[in-house]
Amino acid sequence: MSMSRTKRSLLCFLLLAVLALGLGLTNLAVGSTRIGAGALLRALFSGDRTESAARIVWGIRLPRLLAAALLGGALSVAGFLLQTFFSNPIAGPFVLGVSSGAKLTVALTMIACLERGVSLSAWGMIGAAFPGALLAIGCLLLAAGRTRGMARLIVCGVMIGYICSSITDFVVTFADDSHIVNLHYWTMGSFSGVDWAELGTAALIAAAGLVCCVFLAKPMAAWQLGEDYAASMGVNIRRFRLALIGLSSLLAACVTAFAGPISFVGIAVPQLMKGLFQTARPGVLIPACFLGGAGFCLGCDLLARTLFAPTELAIGSVTALFGAPVVIWILLRRGKGGGV
Amino acid sequence: MNETILYTQKLSVGYGEKTVVSDIDLSAAAGQLLCLIGPNGAGKSTLLKTLIRALPPVRGEIMLAGRALRDYRERELARLCAAVLTGKPEPELMRCGEVVAAGRYPYTGRLGLLTEKDRRVVREMMEKVGIAALAERDFTRVSDGQRQRVLLARALCQQPRLLVLDEPTSFLDIRHKLEFLRLLRALSKERQIAVVMSMHELELAERFADTLLCIKDGRVDRSGAPAEIFSGGYIDSLYGMETGSYESLFGTYRKRKNAGVT
Repeated sequence: MSMSRTKRSLLCFLLLAVLALGLGLTNLAVGSTRIGAGALLRALFSGDRTESAARIVWGIRLPRLLAAALLGGALSVAGFLLQTFFSNPIAGPFVLGVSSGAKLTVALTMIACLERGVSLSAWGMIGAAFPGALLAIGCLLLAAGRTRGMARLIVCGVMIGYICSSITDFVVTFADDSHIVNLHYWTMGSFSGVDWAELGTAALIAAAGLVCCVFLAKPMAAWQLGEDYAASMGVNIRRFRLALIGLSSLLAACVTAFAGPISFVGIAVPQLMKGLFQTARPGVLIPACFLGGAGFCLGCDLLARTLFAPTELAIGSVTALFGAPVVIWILLRRGKGGGV
Repeated sequence: MNETILYTQKLSVGYGEKTVVSDIDLSAAAGQLLCLIGPNGAGKSTLLKTLIRALPPVRGEIMLAGRALRDYRERELARLCAAVLTGKPEPELMRCGEVVAAGRYPYTGRLGLLTEKDRRVVREMMEKVGIAALAERDFTRVSDGQRQRVLLARALCQQPRLLVLDEPTSFLDIRHKLEFLRLLRALSKERQIAVVMSMHELELAERFADTLLCIKDGRVDRSGAPAEIFSGGYIDSLYGMETGSYESLFGTYRKRKNAGVT
């Protein structure tokens, strides 16, 4: 081995951090109004928030890019948890229908609230999304059981996702006209609607979720050898299952509540990180997925905003464009029987 | 007399209410190999799973190191009892060294970080089973024989007093079968581990086991030293074969063995 593994990991972390930071800064500078380096620094650090550059940075671009980074990171970690849990390389919150389940309950709650003329708070949104995510994964576990067959699980998940999405569509179609614009926009998925208050809530939940994930890293590593071995090493299987399903649902629900359903990030980023770090160790990959997911979504959001400006693309379209080929690549490599 | 690590009383094993094998009284002593033999589907795996608490017993009592098996907490149990199971685990991107180190699970803290002592144990076990050179190799890419050794080293890292193995030699060629069993016997003696395992290779079971437990038709048909079990055409009746077929097939081998090959 040419390079020690710790060294390689550290180098990869550094690379990801630089990438995320660079994309973040580009996100701040680029847009309908270009902000130069000097103006950007002044806007960020002068404290004067009335200037137009400062208003754009603090009012629009900074919350949006922080949302992209935070939610992208959370989504990737959720994907990694689900991939490990199902020992399935193309599992993720979107393909397994978890995001769509959350979308459904959020849409229902939003409509119910709009009819009564109240707006949903950030906590309310998550409170609405979480049961939907749990419901979807509950249905999936019932339908696919503990099967290790890759195809059956994925097909069940995709179908559950379709069912949830079509119910969401019905509901949106029959909702009052005035509400549709708002809802339709959200069901497409975007980081643009997140304000500072929501960002705070999302950050709190993502941080709590990540801390719990760190403590889940140990049983996850044992689980990678299979359920029976994990049990024989002293993992409390029932508690582990509950914790993992709960956590991945919470993270996916949090993302869906604030940014709508976002496809492929949860599959592609963990796979890219496994390739980059050349390991599947949860202790390394959980932080790696967070950083990588943040960078991935910052890049995708940048493209979504700027590619056909002033028209904005749905974030899901861009993430699919880069994420879907990764899935194809995984399947091709598996077909050849490739391991590492 | 060796210390008894594990014994059962009137144990019935099975799934839910469905009993597969009933009234099992077995005991496993430190440094001894207890080998389960019997036809396919007789319930050997079910019994082994029950002994490592992967299945609850239908009835009866299992005592491990002086305490009822059901009273152990997960971590305590994992420090006393380790397993090599059937089936091939296929962890993604896991190196052999990492698989072995996973066996330190019941000893590491909440974050699962290995201490210097853990690393020392991992190194020692890998050297003991002769896989130190495989540490950086991808676990899914090593040969069947190497994989079984890695899994054995992993189990040893739990520093167990009871080691349970479910058909550990099934996928190995004859050379690797012999090497694995020699290794297992030596380790069991050296570290005073009670070994309980199932096997299909009768001629090897006869040679390596201290005690044989024959399971057939939902009960322990016979148990005792290999010399007793392998006399009087019993093996034929255990596997439901025509009388004399085992003897006529393996007779030459047995004669050679009796002539003094160890």
